[in-house]
Amino acid sequence: MERSDIYILCIEDEQEVLDAVVRDIEKLEEQFPIETANSAEEAREVIQKLLEDGKKIGLILCDHILPGENGVELLIELQKSDDTYPAKKVLLTGQAGLDDTVKALNEARLHHYIPKPWTREELQKVAIDLLTDYVIEQEENILPYMGTLDAEKISESIRTRRSVSDE
Amino acid sequence: MKSGSGGMTPTQITGLFLGIFGLVVPFLLPLGTLSFAGQIGLGIFIMAAIFWMFEPIPIYATSMLVIFLQILLLSAQGPMYMDTSLPVSEPVELQEQTWQIPSSALRDDNTLLVAVEEGETEAIPVRVVERNGQHVIVSSEELSADSAIVTDPGHRLVDYKPNSYTDYLGTLANPIIILFLGGFMLAEASVKYNLDKNLTRYLLSPFGSKPRFIILGLMLVTAVLSAFMSNTATAAMMVTVILPIIGQLEPGDRFKFGLALSIPIAANVGGITTPIGTPPNAIVIAALTEYGKSISFTDWIIVAAPLVIVMLLFAWWLLLTFFPPSTERFNLDIKGKLNLSPKAIGLYVIFGATVLLWITENQHGIPSSMVAFLPVAALVTGSILSKSDIRNLPWDVLWLMAGGISLGIGMEKTGLAVWMISGFDWGAMGYVMLILVFGLVAVAMSNFLSNTVTATLLMPLVISLHTSGVMGESFNLLITGIVIAVACSLAMALPISTPPNAIAMSTGIIRTKDMAKVGVVIGIVGIMLILAYSVFYWPLVTN
Repeated sequence: MERSDIYILCIEDEQEVLDAVVRDIEKLEEQFPIETANSAEEAREVIQKLLEDGKKIGLILCDHILPGENGVELLIELQKSDDTYPAKKVLLTGQAGLDDTVKALNEARLHHYIPKPWTREELQKVAIDLLTDYVIEQEENILPYMGTLDAEKISESIRTRRSVSDE
Repeated sequence: MKSGSGGMTPTQITGLFLGIFGLVVPFLLPLGTLSFAGQIGLGIFIMAAIFWMFEPIPIYATSMLVIFLQILLLSAQGPMYMDTSLPVSEPVELQEQTWQIPSSALRDDNTLLVAVEEGETEAIPVRVVERNGQHVIVSSEELSADSAIVTDPGHRLVDYKPNSYTDYLGTLANPIIILFLGGFMLAEASVKYNLDKNLTRYLLSPFGSKPRFIILGLMLVTAVLSAFMSNTATAAMMVTVILPIIGQLEPGDRFKFGLALSIPIAANVGGITTPIGTPPNAIVIAALTEYGKSISFTDWIIVAAPLVIVMLLFAWWLLLTFFPPSTERFNLDIKGKLNLSPKAIGLYVIFGATVLLWITENQHGIPSSMVAFLPVAALVTGSILSKSDIRNLPWDVLWLMAGGISLGIGMEKTGLAVWMISGFDWGAMGYVMLILVFGLVAVAMSNFLSNTVTATLLMPLVISLHTSGVMGESFNLLITGIVIAVACSLAMALPISTPPNAIAMSTGIIRTKDMAKVGVVIGIVGIMLILAYSVFYWPLVTN
């Protein structure tokens, strides 16, 4: 499997939880390299670095409560930036209040809300679904992603979009 | 088949430089009888072949580049040939059969070139009587006072009459391209209104739930659809049909290999069935038409369908033998509902009428390319296709085919194609052997190259064998052309062989070695079938 230049970014302050997230989606790492950050500040640095290297961010999994900052605010900020706007955004949360949830939906255009605790299958499925949407929306050649992501959706997109044509 | 992102691979960079070098190399080598225009043509040919092999640029880009280089370097209006004319002068008769001519006209082998008509010269042997500075006095019985003696035998217009640039540009409106445009628009509308999926649902229902019949049904439906739609779009659609079935299988069940392989095989083979089934057919038909061997839509089906059916049945048997079904029955449930909106119904009517008119071309005699403009006009008139749908058409494929047709015109026109087949005793080979060799070469090349490119590179040679007459009476241009078209579509041993193969492989269900095993057997059996058909069947159904 060839590595793509599409990254998954996990932002979580508790190291054990972060490890668990990474472990749960590790089967995607072969194709979508995973980067981690323990704080919003670190997340910004990681994103900056990746973008400078010409990489793309396809999926952001972000904890609700980060040291000194709110995960929702970070997601809103990333939603407003041109570079991270296309990335799919997921909020991992133990106890987000209604206000924060509404804000995340309306302003960060959150793609998915995962309450803690989650199961590996659930997280994997969400990650695969969202990355599938991401590559269909953003990538020209989507064939290489069929084996890892949702093959049915990708073939359907090839059928309608004609991104692969007869030669 | 490669991603657009990132820089060039070392192979691509090698290809880029080799291709550019290929463009100039004919001018660095002594190529005997090849004319100047032939050298230009050879340069373009080598560059195109290398670019198509190494893909430093996308293959449709190479096709467009070919057309550009041809209008620039080979056309009558390009800088090479505009404002030039063949320098000729008439001989001065000194006494009977003794002539004074410019010394530049006399060639080393004591012959003169006399222009017969535009683009054609005749070599006339002369005896030198006296050399006299600027002039030579020669004697010859064949010269006359109005002979147009070429005073510069190395001139670039010797034996070459350049085409108008419009001939090269016009390939995009070649009737066969318009035929494909009609097909593409029908396919686009079918996908838009889910006609392809609904047809699949109806056509598959009689095949029941037994695995061996489901696989047969899948293959037949795939082949029928890919006969009228793009092989790739059909394969992508059918993959969405088989994935849920594969989901019902145990993880270790080998039957899934057979299921996943059945789609690309049937899509590749199905494309052979009609002229619009797959682009190589267009390259072959355009070349045949140019040389007076046009073949109607109906006749093509009569020629191709019996081979397609045998090939499909063989592939079915092969897949069942390699990957026997393990379960008794499957649940085949394709979601969808027939779209009954007015526009969708309009599409069904246009689709049905067009296909009916195409396959009955022999009965009513209206050329299929004319019929093709019915869907083109009707689908936009009825707003069944919108502006964005038109933009979504696979224009790259149309340009790919146009470039292929254009390259063929240039190769014939410059004498390159005839030059390429000279120096080999084709007559000694025999017609059957020739078919076998062309079939083998086409399948082998096409496994690694685009099918269209393979047809593009081989078709000019076939035409030259015809025009030069080296094969004698036994040679049949029409059948040899059909062999090329069919053979190009029977190459499916590798993921890179065809886009449907690439799609099937990308699902991650099959392994390359399974594809190779099945593909090689199909290729070999296919060549045997081609041979049998071209000896026993095709002569009966072609004139």
